[in-house]
Amino acid sequence: MKKTNDPIISVSHFAMRFGNTEVIKDLNFEVYRGETFGFLGSNGSGKTTTIRSLLGIYQPTGGDLLINGKKYTVDGDIKLGYLPEERGLYKKESVVDIMTYFGQLKGMSKSDARQKSLDFLKRVDLLDKAKTRLDKLSGGQQQKIQLGITVMNDPELLILDEPTKGFDPVNRRLLMEIIEEHQAKGATVVMITHQMEEVERLCDRILLLKDGTSRAYGTIDEVRKQFGGKSLDDIFIDVYSHAEEEHTNA
Amino acid sequence: MHNLSTVIRFEIVRALKKKSFWILAISFPLMFAAIFGIIFLSNKATDDAAEKLKEQSFSIAITDESTLLKPEMIAATKAQSIKAQDKQSTIDRVKNGQLDAYIYYPKNLDAQPIEVYGKDVGPFENGRYESIAKSLLSTSVQTGVSPAIKKVIEGKVSSTNTIYRDGKVHDSIKEAILPGIFLLLFYFLISFFGSQMLTSTTEEKENRVIEMILTTIKARTLIVGKIISLIILAIIQGLLVVMPALIGYLIFHDQLKLPSFDLSSLPVDPVRIGIGFLVFAASFMLFTGLLVAIGAAVPTAKEAGSFFGIIMILLFGPLYAITLFVSSPDTAIVKFLSLFPLTSPIPLMMRNAIGNLGIGEAILGIAILVVSAVIVMAIGIRIFRFGALEYSRKLGLKEVFVRK
Repeated sequence: MKKTNDPIISVSHFAMRFGNTEVIKDLNFEVYRGETFGFLGSNGSGKTTTIRSLLGIYQPTGGDLLINGKKYTVDGDIKLGYLPEERGLYKKESVVDIMTYFGQLKGMSKSDARQKSLDFLKRVDLLDKAKTRLDKLSGGQQQKIQLGITVMNDPELLILDEPTKGFDPVNRRLLMEIIEEHQAKGATVVMITHQMEEVERLCDRILLLKDGTSRAYGTIDEVRKQFGGKSLDDIFIDVYSHAEEEHTNA
Repeated sequence: MHNLSTVIRFEIVRALKKKSFWILAISFPLMFAAIFGIIFLSNKATDDAAEKLKEQSFSIAITDESTLLKPEMIAATKAQSIKAQDKQSTIDRVKNGQLDAYIYYPKNLDAQPIEVYGKDVGPFENGRYESIAKSLLSTSVQTGVSPAIKKVIEGKVSSTNTIYRDGKVHDSIKEAILPGIFLLLFYFLISFFGSQMLTSTTEEKENRVIEMILTTIKARTLIVGKIISLIILAIIQGLLVVMPALIGYLIFHDQLKLPSFDLSSLPVDPVRIGIGFLVFAASFMLFTGLLVAIGAAVPTAKEAGSFFGIIMILLFGPLYAITLFVSSPDTAIVKFLSLFPLTSPIPLMMRNAIGNLGIGEAILGIAILVVSAVIVMAIGIRIFRFGALEYSRKLGLKEVFVRK
């Protein structure tokens, strides 16, 4: 699918408050259909809260978070793949049973889900672990299984919250390749990450979030220009060290 | 519907794959088999011992001062008759092992005991001389007595008991059996599956799988699917427990001398059975919802477990007032326990079985249970939705109701 300026995600005036703490303040951004969007920010900046609110797990305090112009519901018409920050699956079941179960929950037939699971396991060199209980796998292998579940229904919108967390360099490269394959199929990808090289390699546009507000938003070139041509790493450090100074002065 | 059936199938299949399910299921038939086996062996051993006793010949001496023994009976045992003045010397012969046993019947049996002296033949056999002494006396006394008097003496006189209520024959025990089955079923389900219900949703939280679940299926689908699968598993478990016991009963009924049940004589009261079923179903819904809600509100299965005791006390605590349910069904405390939703299942089912639950009170009790079950289920699903991402703390009630 071609990249367009037609938004698949639109967030307007999003505000979120937990008790007396204001986590997100009037956040506005759009993600275009077919693009890869980097959602950046340090821990606690509000990235995961935004995604959870977008997916209906949290109820926003204010504003609209829409996918395809509507609030997200599990029985909606979009094929979603979501890899959450908090990773985990059923521990006592076999790998292929868990993958097939999630495939079925995503609307696939049992045989299709099983075949897709086996194809993915072969792709990531884990076919021999298909019947192994999940808790017998290493942390990295479990992450691959979770990624497999995320992408097994060929999602048109792929939301990955820190996808490379816990991966070694070899598996990180494998993950990047899998994301690129889905990009090539036309999927819109939203990546929440701290890894700037991943952002530079994969993303078309980015949003840098700090304390629940947008600090940089646009294409990578636009953002760089905004910050005097600095690298994304330096921009990130600039935004956050400036915050440190603000705190110190205060 | 597709996702509901997928959840149900997944939950059932993975439960059936667990060793603990089969250990629990098989332990009951094994226990029954062990009990039947012990009864069978015990009966066989008793019969064998009796046969052996008949074949054995003892050297017995008897002194009968009561004059109740028939000479032919004494002769049948090949016992030696001893005069009273030789009592001590005969006891000495037993002491020395020259005689197996000596039985002394005193003059006044109503005031003095029969004295039995015997040679040690082991802890399980030493009672045989006493049995011979009593049996000899009883047989002698009953000789020449009419069969009717014999039955009276043996306490084997049979009787029939016909009770009328509202002009019709009434058997309160038999009438309680069919409606009372729901009480047993409820007790079985809650006892065996209560903790599973309580922890059924904590697994998703503990394994951090909840976010993927909530973005794939509705919380309601997951919870309803889990509840239905638990019910199906309970039925499977129940069949695994009951069927072998039933088969064992039918096959070994005669060998084990088990009591016979004539099920065709059980009174069938469709109204009471219907009420029993409705109370059971509504109670099961309510407590399932309550257990699932608690499980969803706490972060771990361990914490959920500590609430189980409280639920059990509320639920089965009314059993302590069982005599009140029978004797004083109209007291305020019985009415309260029968209508307060958290305590009502046992009183309602028990009183329905006994037959002192009026139709109006039954309908009111069922209505309260159904409404409470629906409210608790809705709250449970809400707690699951909002408490799902609270991995390390309990969700407060205020948060559940205040959140949009």
